[in-house]
Amino acid sequence: MASLTLKAITKRFGKVIAVSRADLEVKDGEFCVLLGPSGCGKSTLLNIIAGLIPQDQGTVLLDGQSVDSLAPRDRDIAMVFQSYALYPHMSVSQNLSFGLRMRGIPKPTIRESVQWVARLLGIEDLLDRKPRELSGGQRQRVAMGRALVRRPRLFLLDEPLSNLDARLRANVRLELKQMHHQIQGTMIYVTHDQVEAMTLGDKVVVMRNGKVHQIGRPEAIYSYPSDTFVATFIGSPEINLYRGMLVRKDGLPHFQGAGFSLNLGRLQIDLKEGEVEVGIRPEDIGTGQAEALDLRAEVEMISYVGSEKYIHARLGGEALTFCAPKDTALQPGNVVHLAIDPGRVHIFHRGRRI
Amino acid sequence: MINRQSLLDQEARLAFWMLAPTFIVVMAFVVFPVIWNLWLSLKPVSLGDLRGTSLFEFNLSLVNFQKVFGDPDFVPVLLTTLVYTVGGSFLSIILGLTAALLVHGEFPGRGLLRGLFISPYVAPVVAVTFTWSFILDPQLGVLNWMAVNTGLLTQPIPFLSQRWVELDIMGVSVRLPLALTSVILFEGWRYFPFAFLFILARLQSIPDELYQAASVDGASPFQRFYNITLPQLATVLSTLFLFRFIWTINKFDDIFLLTRGHAGTKVMTIKVYDYAFGEFNIGAGSAVAMVLFAILLLFLFIYFRWIVKET
Amino acid sequence: MSREHLETNIIRILRILGIIFFVIIVAFPFYWMIVSSFKSLEEILLRPANLWLDIKKINFRAYYEVLFEHGFARHISNSAYVSIITVALSVTLATVGGYAVTRLRFRGQAFMSYSILVIYMFPAIVLVIPLYVVFSHMGLRDSMHVLILVYLAQTLPVALYMLRSYFQNLPVEIEYAGLIDGCSRMGVIWRIIIPLSAPALASVALYTFMIAWNEFLFAFMFLDTPEKFTLSRGVVQLAGSVHLSKQLVMAASVMVTVPILVLFLFFERHLVRGLTSGAMKG
Repeated sequence: MASLTLKAITKRFGKVIAVSRADLEVKDGEFCVLLGPSGCGKSTLLNIIAGLIPQDQGTVLLDGQSVDSLAPRDRDIAMVFQSYALYPHMSVSQNLSFGLRMRGIPKPTIRESVQWVARLLGIEDLLDRKPRELSGGQRQRVAMGRALVRRPRLFLLDEPLSNLDARLRANVRLELKQMHHQIQGTMIYVTHDQVEAMTLGDKVVVMRNGKVHQIGRPEAIYSYPSDTFVATFIGSPEINLYRGMLVRKDGLPHFQGAGFSLNLGRLQIDLKEGEVEVGIRPEDIGTGQAEALDLRAEVEMISYVGSEKYIHARLGGEALTFCAPKDTALQPGNVVHLAIDPGRVHIFHRGRRI
Repeated sequence: MINRQSLLDQEARLAFWMLAPTFIVVMAFVVFPVIWNLWLSLKPVSLGDLRGTSLFEFNLSLVNFQKVFGDPDFVPVLLTTLVYTVGGSFLSIILGLTAALLVHGEFPGRGLLRGLFISPYVAPVVAVTFTWSFILDPQLGVLNWMAVNTGLLTQPIPFLSQRWVELDIMGVSVRLPLALTSVILFEGWRYFPFAFLFILARLQSIPDELYQAASVDGASPFQRFYNITLPQLATVLSTLFLFRFIWTINKFDDIFLLTRGHAGTKVMTIKVYDYAFGEFNIGAGSAVAMVLFAILLLFLFIYFRWIVKET
Repeated sequence: MSREHLETNIIRILRILGIIFFVIIVAFPFYWMIVSSFKSLEEILLRPANLWLDIKKINFRAYYEVLFEHGFARHISNSAYVSIITVALSVTLATVGGYAVTRLRFRGQAFMSYSILVIYMFPAIVLVIPLYVVFSHMGLRDSMHVLILVYLAQTLPVALYMLRSYFQNLPVEIEYAGLIDGCSRMGVIWRIIIPLSAPALASVALYTFMIAWNEFLFAFMFLDTPEKFTLSRGVVQLAGSVHLSKQLVMAASVMVTVPILVLFLFFERHLVRGLTSGAMKG
């Protein structure tokens, strides 16, 4: 297993900047997720790490050594593709053993390794089949097996679950996590699905339009998003984000939004006054009697998701969503008093956290 | 950085080796000959000069072109070429369209028909030309014999060696260029499979829903053809015409083997051959080839202007 | 009868008539070619309008004469030699060249992909004279191997273009998987691209064979000694030397035509099947 370092990686396709000055450190054995909407450059970055695309600027280091001049096959990496990319004209066992055969590994060792991986993934009875005879889930396992069997020092996974149906996806996600635990491999995982990122990653890299916005543990990214993009991208339902003015009343910070005002208590904020954006996660909003903050919101719509209810309300001139227990008695048209803990409020100035 | 460059360099070097043989062969046997031809057309060269070094002297002149344009044959040959090219192209496309329409659709034996219909195109040119010559032969050919036997004709017609034929159509006396027409008909026969295959492929990719919608809207079969099929085929047909024009204007084998260029079938490619290997005037031959090429370029220019105007 | 009904019936009748028409004009020459090749000289001269072949009178004499008295056995082997080598070289060079143009990044890549077909605008006759001149000068004229090179130059651009289109439609990720698994580029071509391109390679091989086998002009211009003649050249030679013995020319024509027609009919079925059966899903 290896550590991966990316230094100032930049890649352009014609006029489009696909990746802009990406820096990243992944420790040996870490599960790192590249997360972002389509077109953010995460797959490009993965291909650069693999050596399939050369970067315009920057270096890729594995275990401290630069691999820039090495072809993909010399980097000792394995990759699982979104479309699985199994060799259609070869059987499953030939697919699995292909990489080992290319390296001239002796036949007995190859046989053993293939058996081991087939057992690990539960695909022993599929060994003689061709890819077109397999279901999507089975193909996905073979693709994983092909990567695992070579025991490379780095695993690259490009949205390997996105072609599976939802039910299967959740199961495989769990298996992936267990597998990572078992083999302790360094994995770089690309996805646009934040649930996958949060559940699988030791470290999450949030990207957009080629730029890295934030790198950190899932909890850190969730609880301390570094800018408004990360705040809105992570978390479901989406964070409530409002534009307004930060003002001081008796030296204490208040947020003036469209039609409502939020007392921020004794929050230490670097900014004296000015335009800010304020974010509050739905689960951080409670209802209650008139407490320290007197916020009145009118319920407009209720979404029932089984485990709880999302209440869509109107606060002043803005829409707001908060979570309520599944047996709440709230109805559209009700007026509720909201309780918001200033400590849970995220404040952004010019997009970035303060 | 040196390290990163070498991956890209490796790829470029590999690409070079992969393409080099192809590049060399095509350069040597296609591109350079064309340039050479230009060179030769500008020098007074005869077959006897081939062994000498006068070939490389820089004594360029336009004497070859003067000869070519001054030849009384020039305009007739040019006209013949154009009639042959346009006629042959049109005919092959119309026949191809008809055949495609006939074969389109599901019915047993379709694959067989398709296989049969491509034979004229696939068969060797020597075989088909000699066979047709034989069939059309005035003394030994089956067509003439049957026509005479059944009273259709009073005497055999030399389809490939007679320049004109007098026809009486509804009281009007018409003089038809016989050999040229025969050759054009042959051209249509031989190359309709090309149009056939492309049109058939295009026909099969027209979605059924268009026809269904038209039926629901009340269109009859003929109306459906005019309003749906033909417009969908417009691009294929014009592209086919382009290709057939280019290939027919450059044709040599067919006419050479059928009539040797006699009886009013002398097209420019034959003229090239006649100058170079009949009169041993290589320079003049090359000059005609250049004129032919220039005409082709002119046609392409007109064609693409017209296409741009249409879109 | 409604208009639709009427028109559909007219169409049906026209269709049958049309198919009959085409079948006759396409099949008849070939029928005549074959039938005539089995006739004797007297038949040809005395009963030219005899459409049928008397089973009892089938005569292999024409074939015998053509093969052994006019050297066609040699011509057949020459044509086979030239065609097969042209196909082998053409497919090989077009495969690696097509791959390079599709997948490899290098300066001039865009140029090469589009300029390839421009080559076809030049008439063969424009090429013949300069090549004739050059070859004569270098004493290379009467050579089957030079002919192979000329045929290569004719077929490579289209072959490369055909393979390029096909390669573009192969998912690049399978090649990536190969590269990561340890193949070099050539390894990817050999182990992955070629097995997956069988239909396209067959088309290219077939097309190239047809061009090389059928070719007349260059063979006519560049080959001088009869021992080196290809079939096309040989047939013309034969036709020029016999005027009445049409059955010989027809027999020779049959010999040139049958291999290519058989190949085409056989492969056409195969090709269609290969292209439709489960290609590459996932």
